[in-house]
Amino acid sequence: MSPTSSAEQKAASPAVHTIELRKAYKRVVALAGVSMTVERGEVFGLLGPNGAGKTTTVKLLLGLARPSGGEAMILGAPAGDVETRRRVGYLPELFRFQAWLKASEVLLLHCRLLRMARSRWHGAVGEALDNVGLADRGDDKVGSFSKGMQQRLGLGVALLGDPELIVLDEPTGALDPVGRHEVREVIRALRERGTSVFLNTHLLEEVEHVCDRVAVLDKGRTIAAGTLSEVIGQHTRVRIQVSGLDGRWWERLNGHGRSGEGGYGRFTVEDPSGGVVLVDRIKPAEIPSLVRAVVALGGDIGAVVPERKSLEDRFLELLGAGQ
Amino acid sequence: MNAALIIARLTVREAARRKLVAVFLLITVAMVSLSAWGFDRLSHTSTITSGEIHVALPQALILFMFMFSFVVALSASAIASPAISFEIESGVLQTIVTRPLRRSELMLGKWLGLAFLVAAYSIVVAGLEMAVVDWVSGFLPPNPVAVVLYLFAEGAALLTLVLLLSTRLSALATGVAGVALFGSAWLAGVVGALGTTFHVPALRTVGNVARYIVPTDGLWHGAIYYLEPASMIVQRLSGAADSGGNPFFATSPPSWPYLMWAAAWLVAVLAAGVVSFGRREL
Repeated sequence: MSPTSSAEQKAASPAVHTIELRKAYKRVVALAGVSMTVERGEVFGLLGPNGAGKTTTVKLLLGLARPSGGEAMILGAPAGDVETRRRVGYLPELFRFQAWLKASEVLLLHCRLLRMARSRWHGAVGEALDNVGLADRGDDKVGSFSKGMQQRLGLGVALLGDPELIVLDEPTGALDPVGRHEVREVIRALRERGTSVFLNTHLLEEVEHVCDRVAVLDKGRTIAAGTLSEVIGQHTRVRIQVSGLDGRWWERLNGHGRSGEGGYGRFTVEDPSGGVVLVDRIKPAEIPSLVRAVVALGGDIGAVVPERKSLEDRFLELLGAGQ
Repeated sequence: MNAALIIARLTVREAARRKLVAVFLLITVAMVSLSAWGFDRLSHTSTITSGEIHVALPQALILFMFMFSFVVALSASAIASPAISFEIESGVLQTIVTRPLRRSELMLGKWLGLAFLVAAYSIVVAGLEMAVVDWVSGFLPPNPVAVVLYLFAEGAALLTLVLLLSTRLSALATGVAGVALFGSAWLAGVVGALGTTFHVPALRTVGNVARYIVPTDGLWHGAIYYLEPASMIVQRLSGAADSGGNPFFATSPPSWPYLMWAAAWLVAVLAAGVVSFGRREL
């Protein structure tokens, strides 16, 4: 294979690709065969409870640990490949930097390690500090930083050198709500730039805000994967407020509305008079026809409030099913 | 800049920033000043003859240099023991090893930085002590450069061994092991010397084997040899003075085969450290 075609192949390859990735520590199986693909430019969330194998996955992807089986490729090269690391940024879960260095010196150290041209150092350090809200703290020693500020610095280090893939392991664990919001903004900006982001977190809110696709890990296995809507499910629920109809009006919805038998879904009365009804497991596309059917019966619609199932609901459901 | 040199520079910078260099310099100046006073008194005393003074000066200098060699070796152990293990435990290494550098470069860089510190300290402490003693008493060892080189070699040997241990053990365990190994090697040297003097082959074998397993004491004897004036060696060899079991006396410098062994030992231990760290999961 010519060098050009090899380079082209790498450019076209997924940001992350694993096949049956396994890791066992003596008798403890941390990963029991995880296969996943993160496409270029995608923000991918790896979810799971504590001990699910998320950090182990990240360590295998970055070559910090060796797999017991399976395969992992990063940007078209085997995980841990030294040269490929130049194109990968990483914020570890346990972030610690040289306390005796200034924040700008930590970034300069990483510019050197990335073998960045000296002419770019100044600009890159300034940009990184600016991106993570530490523009006025560059000359302060890392040892004087709070945990949250160190995490910001860690994000700045990961962003250095415009990496093609950024791996963030619990990137907002030490941050306040403002910091979390800022990190989300950084991730969104990365997506706009076409950077792939591998986000490892147990904070579902984070994933809902920024991820294009997710995988849910539990006990070292993938128990769900796909886009957010695929994982959460197509079905949603809608709260509908109706007046001007007799009791149990939903049973007359052209014979479709009987409880537990499909149709528009499952009806639950929230108001004893039957005025407010929660329709569960209804597809979003069916909501207009439900409204038309109620109006055809002579009902007056006071409100139709779609309620999307949260990722947390689905997450707990998935973990419950795995028990 | 080569990745190993970046890490070496970082290691030296850390020592300077953490005030390690300043503390060593202060302590060294204090100890050298104290020894200057002592040597001045010794060389100007009227209670012993000038011949006795010429014997006492090198012996006192050897004792002082032994103390400095102890400080060099233990400092090497102290700065090397957390070099890898603490940075793994604290998480500092995770962001470094995921950069485009090989673990072997990181290990080599750490060794280079620490060896530079040990070399600088050996030059400063031994150079200053010998210069001061020469100034106040007029005694200068026959080969001061060799003294500094052997002092450095002794420190570098312990540093390399401790760095290897640091890839697997905690900083605390590594530090304790380093001190224990250094002490044991020195004691084995004394035992060997006693075995030679009193013709006890088993003790002599212990000393001989130990200086091959951990060559710190063997290298320290190189420093002793080059601290001794020729007259002192001739006197001891002629039996005019009893040197039996004296751990502060050497009749000959380390042989070339032994020096080659020590060099090979250092390279092998460093290579073992590189392999061990390379295989370590973080």
